[in-house]
Amino acid sequence: MDNLLFSADSIWTMIHGIVLGGGALLGIAAALFSLVTVRVADSANASAQRQARYLGWLTMLVAVALWLTVIVGTYVNFPPYRATPPEGLTDLSQYPKALIMSGPGTAWLHQFAMEIKEHVPWIAAMLATGAAFVATRHGQSLARDASVRRLTTTLLAICFVLVSFVSLFGVFINKVAPLD
Amino acid sequence: MGTTANERDAVTNGEPLAALLAAGVGAFALGLVVILHEIGLFSPPTLYEPSGGVSGRTTLAVILWLAAWAVLHRRWKGRRIEPGRVVMATITLVVLALVLTFPPLWALL
Repeated sequence: MDNLLFSADSIWTMIHGIVLGGGALLGIAAALFSLVTVRVADSANASAQRQARYLGWLTMLVAVALWLTVIVGTYVNFPPYRATPPEGLTDLSQYPKALIMSGPGTAWLHQFAMEIKEHVPWIAAMLATGAAFVATRHGQSLARDASVRRLTTTLLAICFVLVSFVSLFGVFINKVAPLD
Repeated sequence: MGTTANERDAVTNGEPLAALLAAGVGAFALGLVVILHEIGLFSPPTLYEPSGGVSGRTTLAVILWLAAWAVLHRRWKGRRIEPGRVVMATITLVVLALVLTFPPLWALL
């Protein structure tokens, strides 16, 4: 077991950040493109209905991916990150939070970046779920009602920005103090 | 003869707007819970010790979000709602949530 290329913690970090978070980010970008380019002249025609159906599936996948990202992040990745090292331990490489907090130049990665990562992704998941509900259950409203479409697009755009920033923070933290 | 979902969607917007406003309410609820914790007024119980207090804060916010969604959905189902205020309220709630979860703000309080 000692010669495994990646530890379980490391694999879960990749699932959290790349598979789920990265997948959600790609999905949000595609959904935003679809929302911005959707034309509503004839929302009853087969092509428009097919596009609305695909958008519904896509936004649902985004919401599921984001919920899995925050759940894995909070309940799988976060506990080993914040584990307290035994008193007197000098090698903190297995204790990412303690390692980050031990250096004045890296403390911000916990005090700012990780504090944001603890909460903001949950906001993104709620916004994405609202958008997914509208796209899957009320595709016609999305096509015909400019206000509903604009608000859905705005919330997904906010989602995109939030997920981008927290992903970047995750990369910074994992670069300085990886979960190995 | 009953109306189809498509026909209902053509004249009503209550359900989609309820879902979007509820997302804003949920976001704000999380911001409020976080800031109350940071200033020491209220901390939800920790639900999973290895994750610490964040488990209680986020779970409480999710419960408030789902409750708000259920109430709004029930009240606005099948209705046409003036979207202007809903849009403004949703965006305002999300912005407030982001401000309240912004760590540098906590240091000022």
